[in-house]
Amino acid sequence: MFYVSLLLLLLLAGSDCRVFRFPFQTNEPYNIAHRGSSGEFPEESVLAYKRAIEEGADFIEADITATKDGKLICFHDLILDSVTDVHDHPEFASRKQTYVVDGVNVTGYFAVDFTLEELKSLRLIQRYPNRDQSYNGKLQIPTFEEFIAIALVSPKSERVGIYVEIKSPTFINHHVKWTEGRKFEDVFLNILKKYDYNAKYLTKEWLHKPVFIQSFDPSSLIYLHNKTSSPKILLIAPDSITSDTKQTYEEIISDDYLDYISKIVVGIGPAKEAIAPVDSNNKLLPVTDLVDKAHARGLEVHPWTFNHERNLLLPFDYHQDPYREYDMFVNTLEVDGVFTDSPESFETYRREWRIFSKRKRPYKNE
Amino acid sequence: MWVGTFFIVFLAAVAGSSCGAARLYRFPRSARVAIQDWRPFNVAHRGSNGEIPEETALAYKRAIEEGADFIEADITATKDCVLICFHDPILDDVTDIAAHPEFRGRRATYEFEGQNLTGFFVVDFTFEELQRLRLRQRYSFRDPSFNGKLQIITFERFISIALEASRTVGIYPEIKSPVFMNKHVQWPQGKRVEDSFMEILQKYGYKGKYKSDDWNKQPIFIQSFAPTSLMYISNITDSPKIFLIDDATVRTQDTNQSYAEITSNRYLDFISNYVVGIGPWKDTIVPPNITTGYLMNATHLVSRAHSRHLQVHPYTFRNENQFLHFDFHEDPYEEFEYWIKTVKVDGLFTDFPGSLHRYQEWSSKE
Repeated sequence: MFYVSLLLLLLLAGSDCRVFRFPFQTNEPYNIAHRGSSGEFPEESVLAYKRAIEEGADFIEADITATKDGKLICFHDLILDSVTDVHDHPEFASRKQTYVVDGVNVTGYFAVDFTLEELKSLRLIQRYPNRDQSYNGKLQIPTFEEFIAIALVSPKSERVGIYVEIKSPTFINHHVKWTEGRKFEDVFLNILKKYDYNAKYLTKEWLHKPVFIQSFDPSSLIYLHNKTSSPKILLIAPDSITSDTKQTYEEIISDDYLDYISKIVVGIGPAKEAIAPVDSNNKLLPVTDLVDKAHARGLEVHPWTFNHERNLLLPFDYHQDPYREYDMFVNTLEVDGVFTDSPESFETYRREWRIFSKRKRPYKNE
Repeated sequence: MWVGTFFIVFLAAVAGSSCGAARLYRFPRSARVAIQDWRPFNVAHRGSNGEIPEETALAYKRAIEEGADFIEADITATKDCVLICFHDPILDDVTDIAAHPEFRGRRATYEFEGQNLTGFFVVDFTFEELQRLRLRQRYSFRDPSFNGKLQIITFERFISIALEASRTVGIYPEIKSPVFMNKHVQWPQGKRVEDSFMEILQKYGYKGKYKSDDWNKQPIFIQSFAPTSLMYISNITDSPKIFLIDDATVRTQDTNQSYAEITSNRYLDFISNYVVGIGPWKDTIVPPNITTGYLMNATHLVSRAHSRHLQVHPYTFRNENQFLHFDFHEDPYEEFEYWIKTVKVDGLFTDFPGSLHRYQEWSSKE
């Protein structure tokens, strides 16, 4: 295991120097491949990430969580039930558990109850039944380091950044114990530093190793504030309470809080509905002032998630047309990046309409 | 004073003349540019029915706003020989007939194109009775907010919508189910539905071969699944005709010919004496693999048609992901691109003329 990671390190260090790379683009809103090109492949799989890079994504995005033996992997849910074939593994049948997650009982096969080796024996499946199922049962859960390797050894001339989430840190720190008093956030950061992701936003070093650290949990970001210069993004969901600090959505988007958090983060990652809410008839309501408030404080805005489940999730105003939605957020609302399940479509949108951000990075307080 | 009064009277006369379905207001011909002919035709299938219930005045007007080249309608007949725009032989799926107890007794079962069909048949209602009904969106996943508000329109009204537009808009009417129409409707003096159809077109001045001056002023394609109808009207008009081709399992309603026969080289040679093109169901041109959801190899239908100088206008393009084969990654614009650039069709029937127009506008900025 040690030799494998040493080899990987050497390989990565070597290869990154050999491949010519264009400077990382900062003129256009970022194309953030949400869980890879998850519209086409099972989410957070090697193929999903490779395809996202092929398709022109600026960042590949992953949720980082931990295994029983403290290894960091890319996986979104706390439980394995929805996107793996764990149900086809009778040897794990007894692992089914019920834990309390944010005050709610959740039952399933929890990733924190499996070692990395055991998780590697599982295979990923496509979460949504109407998407392509043909890769089900073929792909493994990648480790955090394998994910980083995909970005670093990408054969393309365009540099690819990583956009990584510290996922459910309260739950993880409760269930997984590392030695020497380390927390999930420490282990997470060590891996980033191992691969030299540690530079201030938009410096030369950052453009060489682009990264965003995202989380729904403000305390995790604050914890990392003095430990790394890497830019951080606070994720925001309407009608929710932060898991760690128990703050309401209204409090998080208040002027005072945004003033405070803008010293810690370079931007926010709100759900689309926090910017453009939708009524019960699936029609758009007037947009909120969240983007303006963020921009006024020099904060970037990266909304989530743009996906193409037209018949279920897209407001009727867009007439089932993904490009109309991109247009609204990028052109009209001037967001600074989008999390999309279809990086190819967003890339087409950027290229065909030659979309450049109307605002120039770095953003100053206005 | 005199001038003022005269002006007001003049205005009233002009305003009065543009109201009401019976009146026809023609925009000055000289102000209108001919429709484009350098890229495939954008044919608004039943109007912009992705957004608004199909074959309504509003759906057609929206299609025109969105840039459609042609508005398309299925022309069918009422009990009292009025030609209307309506797709189905029965009223059940897109009207509120079920909410009209006065019509309960009209439910019938007829043989329709080889199958027994039960419902409320259009041919059993007078036009005045049909006007009491209100239309609704066919698909539950499309915007229902116009349900119950819009009426069935006549063929004449449909034509006037095209002629009243501020730019040249073509019409693409279908002689729908002529075998059934001729069997169930009592046409006066031994006439047929085709005669009535042509009378109306001639009343509004539709004439001239494809690309003639007459055609450029008032573009039209007459379409039908029934070859004998197209042959019959060839004696009456030189307006261009399109032969529609259904799924491979369906036989022509009038001549009982199979798909294999009507797409054979010999038949194409024959029918090209009467039509300028074919309108096939797109899955017969490039068949999908039902199991995988991906397209298989394209057939040679398009090149065989093109070599006989027949245009190809496949139906129907829809934005929703359940209609998009996996090759297109849930992106309707990728589907447009494939059919226009790779298959090289000459026109597309789409439920989303707005999206097709946007795609064509951007992709022609080469």
